[in-house]
Amino acid sequence: MQQLELLQHTDTINELLARYGVKFGIYKNQEFKEQLFPFDAIPRVIACEEFGFLERGLKQRVMALNLFLKDIYGKKQIVKDGIVPEDFIFASGGYMAECEKALPPKGIYSHVSGIDLVKGKDGTWYVLEDNLRVPSGASYPMIAREFCRRSSPDTFHHNHLEDNRNYAALLRHTMDYVNTGGHTVILTPGRYNAAYFEHSYLAEKTGAHLVSGSELMVEDDKLYYVTVDGRRERVGAVYRRISDEYLDPMNFNPESLIGIPHIYDVFRKGNVALLNAPGNGVADDKGIYYFVPKMIRYYLDEEPILANAPTYLPFYEKDMQYVLENFDRLVLKDVAEAGGYGVVFGRSMSKEQKDAFIALLQREPRRFIAQEIIDFQDLDILEEGSVIPRKADLRAFVLMAEEPVVWKSGLTRFSRNPDSFIVNSSQGGGFKDTWVLSH
Amino acid sequence: MYGWQKQFYNKGCIVKRLRFDYFMKIEYSEPVSLCHFTIKCFPKNTLRQKAEGVSVALSPAVPYSIGADAFGNRQIYGRDDIVHHTFSFRITGSVRTGNLLWEEEADEDLTSVFRYPHGLNRAGEKLRAYHHEMADKFPEDVYEKGLFLMHELYRDFNYEKGVTEMHTTAEEAFCLGKGVCQDYAHILIALLQMEGIPARYVTGMLIGEGASHAWVEVLYQGRWYGLDPTNDSAVTDAHIKIGVGRDASDCLINRGIMHGGGTQKQTIEVIVGEEGLC
Repeated sequence: MQQLELLQHTDTINELLARYGVKFGIYKNQEFKEQLFPFDAIPRVIACEEFGFLERGLKQRVMALNLFLKDIYGKKQIVKDGIVPEDFIFASGGYMAECEKALPPKGIYSHVSGIDLVKGKDGTWYVLEDNLRVPSGASYPMIAREFCRRSSPDTFHHNHLEDNRNYAALLRHTMDYVNTGGHTVILTPGRYNAAYFEHSYLAEKTGAHLVSGSELMVEDDKLYYVTVDGRRERVGAVYRRISDEYLDPMNFNPESLIGIPHIYDVFRKGNVALLNAPGNGVADDKGIYYFVPKMIRYYLDEEPILANAPTYLPFYEKDMQYVLENFDRLVLKDVAEAGGYGVVFGRSMSKEQKDAFIALLQREPRRFIAQEIIDFQDLDILEEGSVIPRKADLRAFVLMAEEPVVWKSGLTRFSRNPDSFIVNSSQGGGFKDTWVLSH
Repeated sequence: MYGWQKQFYNKGCIVKRLRFDYFMKIEYSEPVSLCHFTIKCFPKNTLRQKAEGVSVALSPAVPYSIGADAFGNRQIYGRDDIVHHTFSFRITGSVRTGNLLWEEEADEDLTSVFRYPHGLNRAGEKLRAYHHEMADKFPEDVYEKGLFLMHELYRDFNYEKGVTEMHTTAEEAFCLGKGVCQDYAHILIALLQMEGIPARYVTGMLIGEGASHAWVEVLYQGRWYGLDPTNDSAVTDAHIKIGVGRDASDCLINRGIMHGGGTQKQTIEVIVGEEGLC
């Protein structure tokens, strides 16, 4: 594989990324800090057949998750049939009763899904997490690829890989597919958001308007974009990059200053599409993760193609017993937390910590899941001229229109800390391009 | 409410025709340039009550949309961009009410959600201990259990205005030992939910009260039964039901946000009387 030439350009590419503002904003001690998202030029390479397998599995998973959301905010058949206990729905922080019986345009809930996977040492791919609440990250491999091509055209001439520049077209198609008539806009909370670079970049690439809440208004059950000269133009689809809670102060958090009053009422009337639909948190909760393979069997009558990491729910007595007996081998996750927080490893706790944790677990069994630690494959990264192995995951993007489409690329994130299994970018990791070979 | 009484009430004959007038006014010290409002103040049609001739008057008189929320509550909403110092609305109409003990058949897709604590009806240590103490005295039957909990709460909690506010939780009110109808309702919901029984918050009006009222509905044999813990009674033909939700925040009669306004003074006047008598 002809890669070496590209690697010589690592610094140039990182400089370009910095110049273009490819940054990740984080809040630490109540202070907003922007940090660069370091790029490593050695790509993750996925063979054509291997990606074909992932593709089939991801489509299946996203189909089932969409059907689940439609069911939960409607008939709740999966609960009535005893597949998912109702505790995992109604006591979940992600369930929003406000969304009951509001069917989104074309019945799609998760338009853009980010599915996090890791590859075990034995070569098996495992899904670690589903992200259905406007997951971020697609812009990073998009722009990195652009700079790589520019810096080292030969690399792309000699290696036959899938072109990933179609993401914008896929996203645009998804937005247009559900648009109820009018403009398509990307709604950003603004400059001080962790993913602001991505919002502006996707707007530029898809040709959608980048707007803030104050540029949109509701009147007569329709949503309008207010132009600089005060004209009102109808909006039919909003790819909103703000969370459910802040979307509409009249329907959700009344304190929100970045939302649009009554936008959810317009949505409920079917007069605007919101991507992704509000309420999706009930399906990507860490507690519901356990049930995804069951959902696939239930809704699609198919065997799951992709494996979940072996997961135990202390909620079930049998699982609790297993967790207590194998505590040191497991990783425990607080279902309410995200971004790599609330994750603890049994083996790295002191005796006191362990006792305290087990007491908490027994008091609030529904709050935690336990998983086998997957020994996942390291990927090589370049650090100060030498090649070193680091833990990495892959966020695959699935876009839903007439049918689910998997983007033939993805965001590969790696941990810069040699002892860490947590590769979340909120915790200071780096990223790589993901190459899918075309044959 | 036992035996023969239940039988009698269940005949559900329409016995009263009530006329209601709900008026709310907010006066601002500074002008408001833009406000958004949602008003949920429309008597629901149930088996126990039928609304007729309901009319709405807004001031300033701006256009509004009509819709329903996730719980099926009818609402009007809109924006008001006429500069104003006062915002008010008046909803009037009449409602025929009966003495049926239950309001309506439950929508089975929307019952379990009311089994789980949410927002203001969350219990804490004190309320859990209170529930625990009387656990061995509970009747078997769910409806009887609801009545029992209502009687206990009525005896142990005192009605007093001005000690709690809109955002007071069931636990906080219970610790104070006093509060208003909203607090009675939140506490009773919390107690029922601790028993695994779906219970929901109801807003409404009551003959003789100068303000809105709140009570509870308990799910029993697939139907919603109204219990009014503030008055230690089942819902009667003196009650006009408006909205339902998990807690008070789900069915606020009016919700609004505004630009400007300074300090504000809110006045609510509610008149409910028997038609021909009021």
